Amino acid sequence: MSNVNRGFITKAVLATATGLLLSVGVMAQSTPAPAKAAQSTSSATTEKGERWLHVRVICTTGKGDTVRVNVPLELAEKVLPAVNHDRLHNGKVRIDSSDINDVDLRALVDAIRTAKDGEYVTVQGNDNDVRVAKEGNHLIIHVVDKGASKKSQVEVKVPMKVIEALLSAGKDELDLVAALHALGAQGDVELVSVKDSENTVKVWLDSKNVAD
Amino acid sequence: MMLLAKAALGLGGALVMAGTYTFHEGLIRVDVDEYRAGGSHVHMWVPAAVVPMTMHFVPRHHLRDAAEHAREFLPVAHALFKELKEFPDAEFVEVKDDDQHVRIRTHDGKLQIDVEAPDQNVHVLVPLSTVDDVVGQLEASSPGA
Repeated sequence: MSNVNRGFITKAVLATATGLLLSVGVMAQSTPAPAKAAQSTSSATTEKGERWLHVRVICTTGKGDTVRVNVPLELAEKVLPAVNHDRLHNGKVRIDSSDINDVDLRALVDAIRTAKDGEYVTVQGNDNDVRVAKEGNHLIIHVVDKGASKKSQVEVKVPMKVIEALLSAGKDELDLVAALHALGAQGDVELVSVKDSENTVKVWLDSKNVAD
Repeated sequence: MMLLAKAALGLGGALVMAGTYTFHEGLIRVDVDEYRAGGSHVHMWVPAAVVPMTMHFVPRHHLRDAAEHAREFLPVAHALFKELKEFPDAEFVEVKDDDQHVRIRTHDGKLQIDVEAPDQNVHVLVPLSTVDDVVGQLEASSPGA
């Protein structure tokens, strides 16, 4: 092999090696981890079928201030047991019986669970209309505040399975983690809706990682 | 000539490897712009891998103090950042009012916090693994650990 050829080959090898080293460096910076490669904010419906809890607050006065919170239920389920503050420990909230006027919540829920669908409470007053009903395995609470200044309407729809899970812990405890787990097994549902002259609040569950 | 080329390649290789290691966790980016007279403008890009390394040089008593102050939140933060890495990119919080816009989201394994206000703009981008490392080291430094 001539000296000219040998020099050329050596330079080519050096250039190739340098190029490879540089590309390794660039790839280390630009290539995300394989598990995250498929992740994208643009994919609204999550691939693993995760359930997301969404909260949206829109102030209808002024320029329409908004607050949007999106939380994967699985994340909440795993993080909640780590929170130990005040009455919340290990994903359970301790309740005093005096807080609920010594009402036996479990017996109450058990009675509702075994009862047929229907309207259980209907109150129509000058200030408020209240309706508590059971419809298709959901407990529905509907309150209309007819107060003079701010007319408001609150609608809460909770799957019975979630309420049962919530009360599945000890006597004076609410098991939030179990309730979240039960909620995750439900289909898309609007849990809370509040509308008044100034704000609209919506809490709902679906499989999208972005709010509407 | 050949010796020089080989030495240069060796040095270049070592530099690229060192750079690759330094940047393998990505960058921490902090941008702060205050729009007032004498307001500060901070634009900082730091290799994320440097942070956990630097924490080894922080005096133990400072780490213990920090861990003591954050004691209540460390288990929550640890659980949160550990789990966040497993979830797809998402916008977790968005608050928008007349003149402020706050967004907290994850993107490509990084936590991104953006605050836009008339008097200041703040943008923070931190790899989740770095935050998790820092929280882990603080937990390890807490008095009970």
